[in-house]
Amino acid sequence: MVKNITIFTTNTCGYCQMVKKYLGAKGMDYEEVNLDEHPHRQAEALQLSGAMTVPVTVVTKHDDSQEVIVGYNLARLAPAVA
Amino acid sequence: MKSRDRVVVYGAEWCADCHQSRQLLNEHKVAYDYYDIDSDPKLKAEMLALTNGQNVIPTIKIGDRIVQEPTNDELLTMLDLKQPEPETVTHDVIIVGAGPAALTAAIYTTREDIDTLLFERGVVGGLAAVTDMIDNYPGFPEGVAGLTLADDLRKQAERFGAVIELGEVTAIHDEGKYKRLETTSGDMLAKAVLIATGSDYKKIGVPGEQEYYARGVHYCATCDGAFYRDKRIAVIGGGNSAVQEAIFLTRFASHIDLMVRSTIKASDVLQTELKKYVDDGKITVHLETSTDEIVGVNNSVTALKGTHQGKPVEIALDGVFVFAGLLPNSQFVKDSLELDEIGFIKTDDNLQTSIPGVFAAGDIRSGATMQIASAAGEGATAALKIREYLENRPHPAQN
Repeated sequence: MVKNITIFTTNTCGYCQMVKKYLGAKGMDYEEVNLDEHPHRQAEALQLSGAMTVPVTVVTKHDDSQEVIVGYNLARLAPAVA
Repeated sequence: MKSRDRVVVYGAEWCADCHQSRQLLNEHKVAYDYYDIDSDPKLKAEMLALTNGQNVIPTIKIGDRIVQEPTNDELLTMLDLKQPEPETVTHDVIIVGAGPAALTAAIYTTREDIDTLLFERGVVGGLAAVTDMIDNYPGFPEGVAGLTLADDLRKQAERFGAVIELGEVTAIHDEGKYKRLETTSGDMLAKAVLIATGSDYKKIGVPGEQEYYARGVHYCATCDGAFYRDKRIAVIGGGNSAVQEAIFLTRFASHIDLMVRSTIKASDVLQTELKKYVDDGKITVHLETSTDEIVGVNNSVTALKGTHQGKPVEIALDGVFVFAGLLPNSQFVKDSLELDEIGFIKTDDNLQTSIPGVFAAGDIRSGATMQIASAAGEGATAALKIREYLENRPHPAQN
């Protein structure tokens, strides 16, 4: 079961829109961290994902385990939020 | 229908049902004689003799059998042309991809009530959606953000009923009247298919490129540029995309080295724009300079090694963005369609591929000009050609 979802995005990132569109279509709530508006949180995204890219989607389960999905990767995103 | 059965239609020009039945016969390429009962009293008498005096049109004689005012279903059943309903999900048109060519085609097909499903495995809008600014798409005097154009194209297609499925088509099989598509949502059938999968930026295949992917080596400036605020980067390539994205990246990076293997191929307008940044010292252009290796330490890129006129070049930097040519997304049809030597899909003048009923448009098509405006134009043309194909395609009984 999903407890919460955080997506790191930027204003110009098309793949970020796709992640938001997918979660929106599933009726799932998420917190968006826009790195253009909050550049000080870049290090956090980098630490979680190990990659200098967005989108980074962090799915926290009810047991507080986390799954981090880098990029728009439906093969990983879909089961993570199912 | 037995092949010897002669088909005769008794009707009149003012009779809408007569036109409907004749159209159905035409669509299924059934030869018939048409008798206009208003044109000759003898024809009307002949029909009344067949119908025991019932003055109903259309009256259709198939061999020895008579049917009056048939529904399309009834007429097809009498002609033995009733097609069994396929068990698999079926669409009139499945479009593979959802970039400018695909979305434009969908606008055209759905406006004509042709049931259309699009499959997109990546980003709706394709490469256009991850391009910062598009200056040469007609109708936008100040240019348009790629993401905005992509979103507007999507909204326009969805307004007319296009459905975009987020998933992937992994193979296409020709089954005559229907094309079977293997997809991540299961097998589907389509009467016609449009492949508009476009291209992705090509990898340059140098040491370090794979190793530092997304940790110093990038292919999407609009996604990853923000990680390079006040840092030094290189952009590899000399075409429109490389110059455009280098200019975009100046909003983040402290300095950009543009590594061009031969000469700059970008448009004059972009070159003029580029010159402003070169004059400001923000971008340095390295012509006739190959990129040979991307070097890093502790998971971070630190330098780029290359060669200029036989001499080694080394530039200290923090990241590399690659926009050096395009790779066609045609892997899933490499065994089923005829491709050119690079992997782009070959088409005829009707944008039809080597499988009848399977069309290709946009950047994936061999000979495409790799322009968004051209892709949109090809999408429109493909939609019209698909409509023609759907109107004239053979019935399964004739396959």
